Amino acid sequence: MTKETYLHEKHIALNAKMVDFAGWHMPVQYKTTIIEEHNTVRNAVGLFDVSHMGEVFVSGKDALKFLNSVVPQDISKLAYEKAVYCQLPNKNGGLIDDLIIYKLGIKDYLIICNASRLDEDLNWLVRNKRGLDVKIDNQSHNFSLLAIQGPKAADLMRKMGLNTNQDSFTIKAGEVAGIKVLASRTGYTGEDGWEILVENEFSEYLWDKILEAGQEFGIKPIGLGARDTLRLEAALHLYGNDLDEDTTPVEAGLSWSIPKDKDANYNGKAVIMEQLANGGRKKLIALKMRDKSIARHGYDVYFNGEKAGHITSGGPSPTLGENIALAYVKNLKEICTDTVVQVMIREKLHDAVVVKKPFVSKRNKVKGE
Amino acid sequence: MGITEKILCSSTHEYLLDNEDGTFTIGLTDYAVEQLGDIVFLELPEVGTEFKKGESFAAIESVKAASEIYMPISGKIIEINEHLVEAPEELNQDVYENGWLVKVESDADAAEMADLMEYEDYKESVK
Repeated sequence: MTKETYLHEKHIALNAKMVDFAGWHMPVQYKTTIIEEHNTVRNAVGLFDVSHMGEVFVSGKDALKFLNSVVPQDISKLAYEKAVYCQLPNKNGGLIDDLIIYKLGIKDYLIICNASRLDEDLNWLVRNKRGLDVKIDNQSHNFSLLAIQGPKAADLMRKMGLNTNQDSFTIKAGEVAGIKVLASRTGYTGEDGWEILVENEFSEYLWDKILEAGQEFGIKPIGLGARDTLRLEAALHLYGNDLDEDTTPVEAGLSWSIPKDKDANYNGKAVIMEQLANGGRKKLIALKMRDKSIARHGYDVYFNGEKAGHITSGGPSPTLGENIALAYVKNLKEICTDTVVQVMIREKLHDAVVVKKPFVSKRNKVKGE
Repeated sequence: MGITEKILCSSTHEYLLDNEDGTFTIGLTDYAVEQLGDIVFLELPEVGTEFKKGESFAAIESVKAASEIYMPISGKIIEINEHLVEAPEELNQDVYENGWLVKVESDADAAEMADLMEYEDYKESVK
């Protein structure tokens, strides 16, 4: 059974093109084009329904100890109202999911995870309780999540009554259009913006109010199509494409997120620490095509005439007007920035050059005024 | 008579226009292009190449995905729409007048076209 968010009727009324995504019937684009929606988020502000994502509350006396045993990040250093990007590794360091953990109170945390991985995450978390005094409470079915993203997001949220004196990667209880919400200054676009957690019964009202108030800023509803081009330009990973259970966070280029000095043990720590010191079996690289061809998920990557890996995400970059991709290749030191590799596209090899990540500079590091 | 009254369409969304001089014009239906969304890339075959009915002769890519385009009849490519290769996004405006893909020379008979549909029937079939 395909699931529908509480905003499903809104998408239908807006004539959205709908697709099945991770078991949910979701808008891929509205009555515009993906490129137009993409540019709206880069230049103005866009509204996304991301209610399919999972919300899991973790609380109890041992909540901190528990979370610290399942993610490489040091949750003991996570301050009240702060958020941290985390991964959920298995015993071999392969990733069950990537997620954001928020500290809501002394013994209260919120995990926001991928819709496609919610069941696996819950199973894994429960299996890892090991007698600890911790409550794992899946509230995904009770909450809607609205993302407001773009350079005009702060103006819009301020107009709607939210206190925008908030740093990026923090979460605060607040009000938007008179509705009590949890406002997280995070996103998946590389732009400034919020992800607004609201009880289902208020989501339609809030959706309408945001679109109404956003008119003067040029707001548009944005579908999953542009969500994908935006996150790819920002080189943000998509679970299932760029991350999976055979890929460690070191291999995925996420070493920056892993503390070397964390005391607590966690699943996969030995492998991850070893790879932090010596590198992984493969590495994630960013590519720009040298001609007009487009590298897509699954295409093979060649280096020096030999198969060296494969594309995990690829497509046009509307912002750059170039075609970009992420790929895993063998961890060879010869493959580095400016190296030319080839991508096999319809039985022909096309040159691509390794570039630094992200493809488009992020503008999401914001200090509250 | 509008162009959609003269074309035949395949279940894989190509259209075929009989130029009544032994040549045919092949393109993608408006429905297909609307489904694909923003067209960003088009690859057409070289003039002189011969293809059998059902063979892939071209590739098209939207922002989202890559698709292949199949021959609605057997034939030899005699002309390609080179302008469209340079400006594939123009396919989103028009697929019939300026948005045709290739012209082919073919001696296909009625039997080879038996599976092709009139435009109205095609539109019904994709509803």
